[in-house]
Amino acid sequence: MMLSRQKPAIGPGSTTPAKESKKKKKLPKVDDYLAARDYTGAITLLEFNRNSGKGNEETDMWIAYCAFHLADYKRAMEEYLRMTKRNNYHPDVWVDLACCYFFLGMYPEADQAAAKAPKSRLQNRLFFHLSHKFNDEKRLMGYHQNLQDITEDQLSLASIHYLRSHYQEAIDIYKRILLDNRDFLALNVYVALCYYKLDYYDVSQEVLAVYLQQYPDSAVAINLKACNHFRLYNGKAAEAELKSLQEIASPSFIFARDLIKHNLVVFRGGEGALQVLPPLIDVIPEARLNLVIYYLKQDDVTEAYNLIKDLEPTTPQEYILKGVVNAALGQDQGSREHLKIAQQYFQLVGGSASECDTIPGRQCMASCFFLLKQFEDVLIYLNSIKSYFYNDDNFNFNYAQAKAAVGNFKEAEEVFLLIQSEKIKNDYIYLSWLARCYIMNRKARLAWELYLKMETSGESFSLLQLIANDCYKMGQFYYAAKAFDVLERLDPNPEYWEGKRGACVGVFQLIIAGHEPRDHLGEVLLLLRNTNNPQVEYVIRVMKKWGREKKVPLQT
Amino acid sequence: MIVGFNQSAFHVKKNPMADDSEEEQNNARIHQNQPYDESLEVPDAEEVASTYSPTPRVNPDPDRGRSHGSTPPEHRMMSDQSDDEDDMQDQIIDKGNSQTSQSQPLTMPPRTGGPGMAGAKIQQEQFNSEDEEEETGSETSDEDDDDDDDDEDEHQALEGAYDPQDYENLPVTPEIKELFQYITRYTPQSIELEHKIKPFIPDFLPSVGDIDAFIKIPRPDNKPDTLGLSVLDEPCAKQSDPVVLDLQLRAISKQSTDKKLIVKSLESAEKNPKHINNWIESIRELHRSKPPPNVHYSKNMPDIDTLMQEWPSEFEELLKEVGLPTADLNCELSQYVDIICSVLDIPIYKNTSHHNERIQALHVLFTLYSEFKNSQHFRALAEDNKLDNKLKFEGHHQEVENEGFMP
Repeated sequence: MMLSRQKPAIGPGSTTPAKESKKKKKLPKVDDYLAARDYTGAITLLEFNRNSGKGNEETDMWIAYCAFHLADYKRAMEEYLRMTKRNNYHPDVWVDLACCYFFLGMYPEADQAAAKAPKSRLQNRLFFHLSHKFNDEKRLMGYHQNLQDITEDQLSLASIHYLRSHYQEAIDIYKRILLDNRDFLALNVYVALCYYKLDYYDVSQEVLAVYLQQYPDSAVAINLKACNHFRLYNGKAAEAELKSLQEIASPSFIFARDLIKHNLVVFRGGEGALQVLPPLIDVIPEARLNLVIYYLKQDDVTEAYNLIKDLEPTTPQEYILKGVVNAALGQDQGSREHLKIAQQYFQLVGGSASECDTIPGRQCMASCFFLLKQFEDVLIYLNSIKSYFYNDDNFNFNYAQAKAAVGNFKEAEEVFLLIQSEKIKNDYIYLSWLARCYIMNRKARLAWELYLKMETSGESFSLLQLIANDCYKMGQFYYAAKAFDVLERLDPNPEYWEGKRGACVGVFQLIIAGHEPRDHLGEVLLLLRNTNNPQVEYVIRVMKKWGREKKVPLQT
Repeated sequence: MIVGFNQSAFHVKKNPMADDSEEEQNNARIHQNQPYDESLEVPDAEEVASTYSPTPRVNPDPDRGRSHGSTPPEHRMMSDQSDDEDDMQDQIIDKGNSQTSQSQPLTMPPRTGGPGMAGAKIQQEQFNSEDEEEETGSETSDEDDDDDDDDEDEHQALEGAYDPQDYENLPVTPEIKELFQYITRYTPQSIELEHKIKPFIPDFLPSVGDIDAFIKIPRPDNKPDTLGLSVLDEPCAKQSDPVVLDLQLRAISKQSTDKKLIVKSLESAEKNPKHINNWIESIRELHRSKPPPNVHYSKNMPDIDTLMQEWPSEFEELLKEVGLPTADLNCELSQYVDIICSVLDIPIYKNTSHHNERIQALHVLFTLYSEFKNSQHFRALAEDNKLDNKLKFEGHHQEVENEGFMP
């Protein structure tokens, strides 16, 4: 049985769809294409007319209009430029041209072109946004005052709010306009964008659904939905959304192609970053930041720094990344300057009203205190977010250090041991702190094993000193003695002899007290004999004497 | 409305300091029993500093990761008077922070009570003074500290550290007891370990784009535009294929246009079967909707129906024995065409103005073939193998079957 048949066997759908096309023998109308927002179709038709000798100035205007709304601003610009070369063109062409320049990122050109146009509301809005781009507050105020209480002007104002991260103000405007104009569905998408930026991803989803129900093929809305999924779930869920857009879209659909390519890199965890992102830098604002993140993940701090050093941060993400890169670079190069800058950025973000309760905000605050070496405070922040980072090596590395720094060696050891990365595990900072934890937790043998696994180097020498002295301090004289013995052989410094002598006697004391196995006595004697010092004989004699009395078997 | 623009683009900067400190104070008042409350209740930090004793600095010291036995900071503060005031402030902030954090559930740091923006500027100074502190401290006061702080620290913090008193009463000979003194004769060094932060790497950031700024070109006919209002100002996902549409327009309008036909190309076509299928489908569609091409013969040609008449039975019988001449015949293609056409009663007019007189004849030939092929009657006969010659005939022309036979 076949239950999934879809095409009715009898009725209007039963014939092959090909035959329907026989009806449309007439030339299609531009208006039909415009209504469907099929600008590619409209342009093709308009061009066909123009080339059949039926074109006029209006045709050119329409072609430019379509190209503009197709986001082919270059094409539109070329059309308008050509118009301005003619004799009697409409002066409004200048503001149209200025719009194209604006979207092409050619702001000074846009400013000049708009200045040639007669006064209009569109011109004022354009100047308003240009002033924002120029960071010219004075001009901005002037054009702001010219804005009227009409929908377009208010929406333009809301857009500036959004650009300035004043999302709540933008939402207020949209909601006010929506109250009177229920059919302005697009405003729902704008509201959803604001909620996305405010990290209210499920609210954003809800508002967005209103629009998607009506326009399921909207690239902007689907992309936003994908981003919400990325935040709420994972990259896979997000990618699936974009895939569905690619399914619906026809091959000639190139709108938002860069945006989609960019986000696919994001959703795939950086796959293809080096191919896709570099040309998108300064086209899509996030592209530069993502490339920096990519380099950081690859441990290429220098590249990351070069990319971000000239960036003037304005968003929390930018501040955070500047902080992270400076912290990484400062530690790599031992540069206090960079560390200080990093600490300041972290403090700024972590202390801000908008970020102080976000996970990145707390990571910032923890990093800030870490750089200030205020580890009690580091722990307050890290404790509050640790459940999100159980398997994160970087997080655990910082967390364990902070715990050790406040003397909580037991938990510090546990966290150090969660770390998987070989790179971290071979880092001297890791080895030395773990060794200290072991010793403080009375597991000196494990610390000694850390030393044994190291290759001889300046670091292994430092670790020996750490083991020797920390063990001594903690009364774990057996491994203190072993460490001092090696130190003494590497560097015949009388201080090492004193340490070794004390440690050996310490082991002896522990043996007498019954805290150390008696057969360690023989080993202690061997260690002592390694030293060429008149005191050795005396110490050995006393120990041997005791050993004989207690019938401790001594090979020597 | 514009007032908002004077504030920075980034909320971080405009966080009011006053609010924070006020809340801190409130917290402080609730917890009267906390040790450093009074320092918080006095809003003027300097005033506090003047009445404050620097000793509590002992406490936070181990937290700074300095090993016990190294220089405790209180000595440093004494040794460098100029730093004192900064240090006082530090302490107040420190206490403020730790105090408020004690008052809040530890699982989540307080939104404002924590070391938030209220302390931002002062903590800045703190960082500075810390710098100086470290420098001056290590220069001036390292040595004289060593002796006194060792004991103090070991008692204080090192849990489980070696204590010779534990072994005071071991039953040993005086000789051994004397030996034990070697243990305390060596003072283990305190080794300060470095800290290294692994900076957290943020997640990749997807881009959602910006919001319509209503900087858009109006319709040239000045009709109201709903773009950006009732519908987003974006092209729909299903855009026409310009090449296909252009071909369609040419077909429909039957107009000549001086526009050059665009030839489409597709990069890495093997990865885009969807595009290729779409293209094939739309071109097939285009051809279906086109009227079939008509050929006007320059001279009279026999009617196809006439040509489809049966051959005389003798001829049919003969064909059974000799068969039609195949393409293997040792002759030129043009001669072969002449032979076949004459067998099929298709005339080839010599000396026409046409550059190749055989083309029109061939068109008739293929039309005839196509008629046979599409005829239900003859197909049925062929299937029953009642048409003896048909198979042979078909053999020659299979390769041209179904193709458009344009002149």
